[in-house]
Amino acid sequence: MFRKLWMHLHFGGMHPPLDLYFNMNKIILIFILVVSIYSCKREDCNDAIISFNQPATFPPPVYTFQNNELTQSGFELGRKLFYDPILSKDNTISCGSCHQQVVAFAHGEHKLSHGIKGLLGTRNSPALFNIAWQNAFFWDGGSNSIEVQPVGPITNPVEMDETISNVISKLQSTSYYPSMFQNAFGKDTITSQLMLRALAQFMAAMVSADSKYDQYKNGTATFNSDELNGYQIFRQHCESCHKEPLFTDLSYRNNGLDIAFGRDAGRAQITLLPLDSGKFKVPSLRNIAVTSPYMHDGRFNSLSLVIDHYRTGIKQSTTLDSQLISGISLTAAEKLALLSFLNTLTDYTFINDKRFSEQ
Amino acid sequence: MKNYKSILVILSIGITSCSSCKKDDDNATTTYQPGSVTLEYENVVNGIHVDISGGTNYKNAAGDSFNITLLKYYISNVELLKSDGSYYKVPESYYLINEANVSMHKAVMSDVPGGVYTGIRYMVGVDSTRNVSGAQTGALDVGNLMFWTWNSGYIFFKLEGTSPSAISGTNPTGDYTYHIGGFKQSTGANMRTITAAFGENLTVDGSREAEIHTTVDIQELFKNPVDISLAVDNDVMSPGPVATKIANNYVDMFQFEHIHNAK
Repeated sequence: MFRKLWMHLHFGGMHPPLDLYFNMNKIILIFILVVSIYSCKREDCNDAIISFNQPATFPPPVYTFQNNELTQSGFELGRKLFYDPILSKDNTISCGSCHQQVVAFAHGEHKLSHGIKGLLGTRNSPALFNIAWQNAFFWDGGSNSIEVQPVGPITNPVEMDETISNVISKLQSTSYYPSMFQNAFGKDTITSQLMLRALAQFMAAMVSADSKYDQYKNGTATFNSDELNGYQIFRQHCESCHKEPLFTDLSYRNNGLDIAFGRDAGRAQITLLPLDSGKFKVPSLRNIAVTSPYMHDGRFNSLSLVIDHYRTGIKQSTTLDSQLISGISLTAAEKLALLSFLNTLTDYTFINDKRFSEQ
Repeated sequence: MKNYKSILVILSIGITSCSSCKKDDDNATTTYQPGSVTLEYENVVNGIHVDISGGTNYKNAAGDSFNITLLKYYISNVELLKSDGSYYKVPESYYLINEANVSMHKAVMSDVPGGVYTGIRYMVGVDSTRNVSGAQTGALDVGNLMFWTWNSGYIFFKLEGTSPSAISGTNPTGDYTYHIGGFKQSTGANMRTITAAFGENLTVDGSREAEIHTTVDIQELFKNPVDISLAVDNDVMSPGPVATKIANNYVDMFQFEHIHNAK
């Protein structure tokens, strides 16, 4: 565009159509400049700047960056670590391998994820967003802090299979990480604590609250009749577990997938209580349209199959959630309306936000 | 004769200064300088320093033969009992004792207020607060391999080795693994508190030596109040009833031995 403008200035006035074409370019350029200056003012002159924006409708976050103040350099270090396969034993798998932004940091089209040497895990890689409001991590809630959670996948033999001490020495021996830690934390001696704090800054800053649903709630978008219907159906049948505005009540429930739980007892592995057998964390429905496959083992490929499970596929067991004993009765039309509503929960701003992308 | 006299004079000076020493110790107005106190743990089996090469066969109370290849545990929340009956809580006192590393048989607590101490109280394990406070550093660094990632929390005590009693179809080498942890009341809070009286005064005063020696006899893990059989319990790597049983057993493993307090 600059080249064309330059041509216009030097060879201007050749023939009208071309001149008009050049003028159009000029207008567009000026428009872009004005817009970018305006947005500069609004966003402190750089849309790469990170901050933790508490959505007005959300409850107070669980993770408050206590002892780990969110800073630009800390966030960027966390982002670099998140996308760096150096965290794995053979330097092939990064956090981002199984948590892809385009699908809200789930693992697209993977029931289970492959770690190093193609080894498969046992549970579906969860989507990552609004982590600051989560009080526990993993499908069974076994991890109690976003700061220590990454130690799980880093050291799991079928995921990244690395030791924390090896990771630290690998990071320390690079030419760039020590100075990044210096910038972020004032120390160039890398420790696991600082590495984990950087990762926590990056992950906890991932706030997703700009879906069409959010825009509808704050009056900047409208729902069509299907979406409105679907919202009503959601409130009637889904809301009690997938509670707004996080679209999860953060509880653990048995949603009738199996009759026995020998393969994966879920929450009971953590609480040691038989009454928690077969219970898994209620996932958020935000961004649900892009995070297939579904359930803790990724058994359903589509939201349609998920809804059908609740309509006709509930399996009875002693720990089945009492609200699901008779399933959820929905007509075909109601199912379609519900799907329309679920589609409004995709936050395109979030999944396209360059601040969370590999740089 | 002259020699005798001078010896007597020296002796009497010595005695006088000694008794004045004692007086000083008891005198509340005496000013003591802050100093460091060292905890030293000697890991033994049947009173003999433990061999973690795996090359020594021991026999436990249940009659199982076993060897030892790894021994690590946390000592934390150290409190020193002052002569006035109150406790001085040593801040940030988290120490990892690792038999494989001689420098980790001791824990040095610096800047302990000067004064006279008569006992000690500490935790084997890590308090619940630090189990839920995110990424830690120092002794509590997750890189020390004393942390459960799948069910967040510190492993308080690790003992590993092999035993013929543990051999089975799925465990042909007879490995036994005791990873004892768990801080939640709901699944068994396995932190244990050890209390000991020195039976004499430990004076902290500047550079004066102040060491507290404790022996840790691994045999005690296998008995009292209940015998642990390596044929039955040989794979303990989560909180729960078996971990609690072992933690109850190892409370009396930590036996205060003596202090070193030379000027």
